[in-house]
Amino acid sequence: MSNSAQNLTSRRRFLGMGGLALGGLAVGPTLLAACGSDSSGSSSNNGGITMLNWPLYIEGDEPSTSPTLKGFTDSTGIKVDYKNSIDGNESFNTKYQATLEKGKGIGADIIVLTSWNAAAYIGASLVQPFDSAAFPNKKNVISRLSNPSWDPGRASSIPWAVGQTGLAYWPDKVGGKITDVNAIFDPKFKGKVTVLDELRDTVGLTMLGMGNNPSTGTVSQMLAAVDKIGKARDAGQFKKVTGNSYTEDLALGDTWIAVAWSGDIAQLQADNPGLEWVIPSQGGMLWVDNAMIPVGAKNVEGANKFLNYIYDPAVAGPLYESIQYIPPVTGATQYMTATAQASPFIVPPATPPLYEFDVVSADVAEEISRAFVAATEQ
Amino acid sequence: MTAAAAPSRFRRPRRDRGGEDTGVSARRWFTPWLLIAPGGLWLLVFFIIPLFSLGRLSLENGGLSNYSTVISDNSTVIIRTFVYATLSTVAAIIIGYPLAYVIATKGGKYKNLLLALVVLPFFVTYLVRTLSWKILLFDGGPVVSILHSLGILSESQGILGSPFAVVAALTYNFLPFMVLPIYVSLEKLDRRLLDAAADLYSSPARAFRKITLPLSLPGLFAGTLLTFIPAAGDFVNSELLGSERTVMIGNIIEKNFGKEFFRPELSALSFMLMAIILIGVIIYARLLGTEEIA
Repeated sequence: MSNSAQNLTSRRRFLGMGGLALGGLAVGPTLLAACGSDSSGSSSNNGGITMLNWPLYIEGDEPSTSPTLKGFTDSTGIKVDYKNSIDGNESFNTKYQATLEKGKGIGADIIVLTSWNAAAYIGASLVQPFDSAAFPNKKNVISRLSNPSWDPGRASSIPWAVGQTGLAYWPDKVGGKITDVNAIFDPKFKGKVTVLDELRDTVGLTMLGMGNNPSTGTVSQMLAAVDKIGKARDAGQFKKVTGNSYTEDLALGDTWIAVAWSGDIAQLQADNPGLEWVIPSQGGMLWVDNAMIPVGAKNVEGANKFLNYIYDPAVAGPLYESIQYIPPVTGATQYMTATAQASPFIVPPATPPLYEFDVVSADVAEEISRAFVAATEQ
Repeated sequence: MTAAAAPSRFRRPRRDRGGEDTGVSARRWFTPWLLIAPGGLWLLVFFIIPLFSLGRLSLENGGLSNYSTVISDNSTVIIRTFVYATLSTVAAIIIGYPLAYVIATKGGKYKNLLLALVVLPFFVTYLVRTLSWKILLFDGGPVVSILHSLGILSESQGILGSPFAVVAALTYNFLPFMVLPIYVSLEKLDRRLLDAAADLYSSPARAFRKITLPLSLPGLFAGTLLTFIPAAGDFVNSELLGSERTVMIGNIIEKNFGKEFFRPELSALSFMLMAIILIGVIIYARLLGTEEIA
């Protein structure tokens, strides 16, 4: 328990702080970074592999102490230069996309991106297919994630982390249990609700409340949900439309109900036992960050072997128990403690269902994104 | 003899000056550039080039129409940003001027200690300073409970998320930038001018208006710029203490610059912000009559 509690600082929350600190500097340097040839991977990593991942996606704060990475090196002799350097899909694109589009390497053998972005990378051939001879364990991917429309048969992407978006609330403040997602629009809780500024989470949950399926919904259904969010915002329903900082108001008790990420609540509950986490009866949202091998990778075979190692259930079990995300590897839960097996954050119940937001085309994404910014910020 | 002496007397200095001239003037010509070079290069690489690239980016996709789009989409946010920045600057003057005045005139041997106290908050990270306000101002916190029991706020009202919280925090975070320049200009003020005014039967108030205030204008001007400009570009205070009703230009840029299709418009917004600030500063300088100081 104490070991997992240490690792509970959710990645998104962690990023919030860094994001704020760096945000002010973002404008100039990103433009320069776009022109420069930035290779943050060391080419001196002879025979080893370099992986760029999000923070808190491996055991411990310091990747060099990770039992998973050590186990891999011990069994294969391949060293892993693991970097917690991805702090957002958009910032990753700003930094690396142009280099990858030229077909050049970015000094990494494995990168990890969220589905909608991974789909764009696969569409633009910025990543390369897996080698099934070196990665036979690919078959262990859980069935619901085994065949996305944007990467049939998981030819070139494989889930690394799977998280949930649901509601967190204080039962003593809202007066009982909450199961309906539309509670976030209930006038009784006016000014006491926070929703996430990640449109795929907030719009997705709103669509579920309107009886629509966010995985298959039409553009007009998505826009209708954005409209509903905008009207509620104008009426003062939301305390805040925010990113990572929602956890602070929630912990202080100023927020009664929050659209929340599973990893954050797993951590907050350790200090606030009264705080409840629920996947609403209509369903919750699921997000997936996918590992891929970018073009220009120096050690493709090593990268395949590493993912193969992770997809061994005996390895995945302890890893996902430690980082507190749903394991995307079949059979991994058998290698977890009873406590972890009972955790709704690691093993969510079969119902209510979890939906992944539809991977829409770039044009549709822009249209919805603009509408969402207008509805929640401008 | 005299005829020969005269030219030599003339010639020698001339030759000396001439001889020196080439050396010194070359050095004179060279030295300033050499001294400017590191700073100039720094500005070129980290300011001019990004600015140029930002300007080019602001014209991509829609061209000049990016500017009109971004103004009409964000008019409320733009107005709000400048209202907040102005309010916090005025508040910083109201709080900061008397403070600087007292430290400079009555501080005595405690001057340095008092100045150190003004700067002390800077030893704590900006982020943590602002976050700690959350603990003070949250609905169940000490400030709100006192205001509730005094009946100043109704039970359903809070402070966090309100414009008041954001403006107050902006004021707090930039206050030292107001106090220090005012202090410097008051500190070097020649006291004999005030004695002279008193000798000429001027009231202290009149002496302040005619002598102290005008002579402290350069400090006030610098303090205003150092407060207003960062306040207008700030996003941390609104993000941490505000709500979606207190969104400032900085928040819009910070949240959306990563979205590729938004980048040209947001670059246009950045330029607008810069242009408005620049125009505002020029008008302000004219009004105060301190162009030469600026």
